[in-house]
Amino acid sequence: MTASPDLQPASFRDPSGFLFRHQGQLFRQVNESYREHYDLLIASGLYNKLTSAELLIEHEECGLELARTPGAYKILRPVLVPFISYPYEWCFSQLQDAALLTLKVQKLALEHGLTLKDASAYNVQFVKGRPLFIDTLSFEKYPAGRPWAAYRQFCQHFLAPLALMAHADVRLNQLSRLHLDGVPLDLASRLLPARTRLRFSLLSHIHLHARSQKRYEDKPLPAQRRPMGCFALRALLDSLESAVKKLAWRPRGSEWAEYYDHTNYSGPAREFKMRFVADALQRLAPACVWDIGANTGFFSRLAAERGILTMALDIDAAAVEKNYRECRREKNEHLLPLVCDITNPSPGIGWENRERASLLERGPAAVVLALALVHHLAIANNLPLAMIAGFFARLGQALVVEFIPKEDSQVQRLLATREDIFPAYHLQGFIAEFSCYFQIERSEKVPGSERTLFLLRTR
Amino acid sequence: MNARKNALTVAMTAVALALIFPRRVYGYIDPGTGSYVFQLIIAAFVAVSFAVKIFWHNIKNFLLRLFAKKEQ
Repeated sequence: MTASPDLQPASFRDPSGFLFRHQGQLFRQVNESYREHYDLLIASGLYNKLTSAELLIEHEECGLELARTPGAYKILRPVLVPFISYPYEWCFSQLQDAALLTLKVQKLALEHGLTLKDASAYNVQFVKGRPLFIDTLSFEKYPAGRPWAAYRQFCQHFLAPLALMAHADVRLNQLSRLHLDGVPLDLASRLLPARTRLRFSLLSHIHLHARSQKRYEDKPLPAQRRPMGCFALRALLDSLESAVKKLAWRPRGSEWAEYYDHTNYSGPAREFKMRFVADALQRLAPACVWDIGANTGFFSRLAAERGILTMALDIDAAAVEKNYRECRREKNEHLLPLVCDITNPSPGIGWENRERASLLERGPAAVVLALALVHHLAIANNLPLAMIAGFFARLGQALVVEFIPKEDSQVQRLLATREDIFPAYHLQGFIAEFSCYFQIERSEKVPGSERTLFLLRTR
Repeated sequence: MNARKNALTVAMTAVALALIFPRRVYGYIDPGTGSYVFQLIIAAFVAVSFAVKIFWHNIKNFLLRLFAKKEQ
């Protein structure tokens, strides 16, 4: 396969095929080497079963004239995933749901005489609020007696980060950003508290599994291989499923319960802010909104309920967790909560820094919401207003932003523990810097406060 | 005799070919020897509890159906 500019940089490891773009559309080439498996996926009824249950991405077959390399068997046009997100941007429950989907797909595959040949978390995307398996080429004919080739990968991509989040610290999900093929099990085993050894599922699938990996490091597969029956394989999958289901993460006590309350506004100020945001969305009618610093997604929902695809980004895993559970409960198809530190957004990682796209590469958004955010960036993170304005202009085509001056109690709180080295942080300074990148469409003072809301369009 | 000789030749050739070209056991990802070996062991363990689980599940279903019929 020769490198071509329209080949998707995340799709090169599996020789069965690859993704490419043609005239702005995404296609998947299936190679001759995968013919037997692809035909079985379709003929066994597995494809229909999975797609009708909305577990696997749908595709249509196109003409072979689009083939990018010799040896093409089929060209598929998969349904487009509107926004690609990555496991290190998911909260605990999102990763857990993705893990359970992978196991469900594998179990159904076995019933149809196929098996998953990989179990990468990157094979799952969130579409219409639910996890969806997106790699059509992950299925292969199940040779009776063969163990699950993807067992190691499943433990590294799903079980290890979930166990670390549940039993050590939720921030350890970021290890997936460092380790592209999942969290190494020896690392997970060292980081997990000793009490996890008392749980059979974690003792076996992580701690003993890690020890076995160490013991057989650099050793070839044994010449005499014992077959593993389908029943044993189903038992293994059942064990993994119950291991994943038993894991739970819940931020401690009051922090969780009071979460939104102390960051929220009440009364007329909130009403006014809601109306301002709703009017802006009405006026702009965007296709996609990114709510930066979305907390539990209160304002994101104003966009989502209008049928607009909305990303609710927040640095706080607890807020994102709460938002996702609420989305799941209300079956929200338009809102995708993601963990994101906007002062250090996901970079391009993997081979050539292109395998997983940076957050900026996945934009721009039609509208960015930045409510009660700028003071955090400017005061808590020492970011000059000019740089914040420049960044927002790259992030989206229009911006709904709130300026909170130093007199406000929220800013006073940030300044309480530090020297005020921000002489340029005032309304006039904000307008001057943001006017370099944006045109002011509308600005309104929030009643009963010193805050100002702006609707801006990039120049 | 000839047939036996032929069969022997075919079998020996098959063995020789299998040794020269080992069967492709896995797909494009490395299952890891440690993971492979461990999977066989742990699967044997969990298969026992899985069998028990299925057994109880079947009994429960049977009883539920039985009571449902009686109620009808």
